[in-house]
Amino acid sequence: MDITFWGVRGSYPVPGRGTVRYGGQTSCVEVRTASGASVILDAGTGLRALGQKLARDSGATLGRHHILLSHVHWDHIQGLPFFEPMYITGNTVEVYALLTAADELQQVIGGITRHEFFPVPLEAVPAEINFHEVDPGLPMTIEDAQILPFALNHPFGSVGYRIDADGTSVAYVSDTAPFNQVLHKQHFLPGLETLTDEDRRVLGDMRAALVKSLHGCDTVIYDTHFLPEEYARFPHYGHSTPDQALDIVAGNDVRRLILYHHAPSHTDDQMDEIAARYKEQGAAVGVDVITACEGMVLSVGPRGTS
Amino acid sequence: MKVRFWGVRGSFAMCGKEFLRYGGNTSSVELVTEGGSRLLIDLGTGATEYAKSLMSSEFGQGLGRLPVLLTHTHLDHIQGLPFFTPFFIKGNQFRILGADPAGSSLKGTLQNQLAPHYSPLNGLENLAAGVSIETFLPGSELAIDEFEITTAAVPHGTMWTTGFRIKADDKVVTVLTDVEYPAPHRPTREAFALAAGADMLIHDAMHDDAAYAMARGWGHSPVSAGVHLAGAAGVGKLALFHHSPDATDAAIDRLVEAAQSRTAIPVMGAAEGAYHEV
Ligand SMILES: [Zn+2]
Ligand SMILES: [Zn+2]
Ligand SMILES: [Zn+2]
Ligand SMILES: [Zn+2]
Repeated sequence: MDITFWGVRGSYPVPGRGTVRYGGQTSCVEVRTASGASVILDAGTGLRALGQKLARDSGATLGRHHILLSHVHWDHIQGLPFFEPMYITGNTVEVYALLTAADELQQVIGGITRHEFFPVPLEAVPAEINFHEVDPGLPMTIEDAQILPFALNHPFGSVGYRIDADGTSVAYVSDTAPFNQVLHKQHFLPGLETLTDEDRRVLGDMRAALVKSLHGCDTVIYDTHFLPEEYARFPHYGHSTPDQALDIVAGNDVRRLILYHHAPSHTDDQMDEIAARYKEQGAAVGVDVITACEGMVLSVGPRGTS
Repeated sequence: MKVRFWGVRGSFAMCGKEFLRYGGNTSSVELVTEGGSRLLIDLGTGATEYAKSLMSSEFGQGLGRLPVLLTHTHLDHIQGLPFFTPFFIKGNQFRILGADPAGSSLKGTLQNQLAPHYSPLNGLENLAAGVSIETFLPGSELAIDEFEITTAAVPHGTMWTTGFRIKADDKVVTVLTDVEYPAPHRPTREAFALAAGADMLIHDAMHDDAAYAMARGWGHSPVSAGVHLAGAAGVGKLALFHHSPDATDAAIDRLVEAAQSRTAIPVMGAAEGAYHEV
């Protein structure tokens, strides 16, 4: 199984000298199994370059593309209208996402291609686009990959995915806050709220389900947007620190943790420091910590062989 | 009057070393008068960089005031809005001025951008600063601080955008971006009127002339449209703007060179960074 990072930034794309090495495009990861089946995790701005590559590689061959969305904040969907395979008649794009209480998924995705935002409305896109609801805890099969979705703690809901194929596994845990200070629901949070007993129970269950879903997973990609000192100022923003990610994976039979969804303000030099600092902290608890950069390809062999 | 480009890229922000000299951020242009009045045009990702620079001024203390003009609400012109840091500081005052998109409202569109699915901000009302959304009909004249502004609708594919002629310090800057005329050499009457005699014309130059053959009807101009209008309207300087996401620094260099070889009017490729005296 190969994992390719097409966009590793959180919030919004950040061009410029400070992001040349780690990359400035937002959330998008491609997982390809040995049989060639591919699953795309999130459709941030990194999706544009992936779409160009897929269109180039496929030539005249039509294809079916699977995009699993964690949630529909702009940094996770903004690449969708720029996904080249959508503009080829005969292609199919299957989009999977959490169905939120308020709206139909299609309307939400359709919303980003309204003419106020983008010149081509969804109805005019030549490829066939199908929408699928994801239910946390309910496994799915996409070609030869087994997918397990699980709930995360993020404004308006978010979902992570564990993908098992080729005798190995990778999990995508983005975006999420930790599970102790804030329970994100479907309203605006200007700051911390007092947790009720019920909130604490929901958070405890969510954390336990996450830990269980990640147990024995080879490689875990995790939203580590903040450094601890930044998290302390913005605990209600819905993102984690590498320390909080390590807390979830350490002792849970996870081989490797990938730091992901980098804050837009973190320059390459800061990212180097973060990478070195958490490489060391991970080693201390038996986890190989790697900091994602755009273009990085990780090959994941069967557990125990790579 | 000075002009600074904070974002010059069309459609999509581009990162990486091939995009460093012109810059990869999407549309955002600042105008400053000698008297210190400021005006921002568009809120693409370039606006997030401008926002950072504002934080060390009165905007950091919640004492800033800034008018913002929007050409239209395609994402590359508003995607910086949820990340414009001075919006989160109480006391700052912003006016966002634009035309209602056809069939919907400006305020509704921006609210929709911040709807809970898309953004944890859950709506304009949660911005701590004062942000007023004001609409005008294209064709109207606006007076904002020291700026006298003429507006007009110009064609943009199946829709239209607002072009601006902005006068201050006895200088005129014309902004015509996301525009496609019936033919590259046939600017609309309104576009011509906005550009007539301007000191600087900032013009959509999304396509080189060869690529335009494939992109006719998509709402953007080939370089020759700006070159032609600059000559016909007798402008002082032409800034090619809204560069294609696929145009690397080297490609834009070639585009500017080719444009310059066809006109005596000075041509520049709009680039992030420095202030330019108009
Ligand atoms: Zn995100
Ligand atoms: Zn998010
Ligand atoms: Zn544009
Ligand atoms: Zn546009």
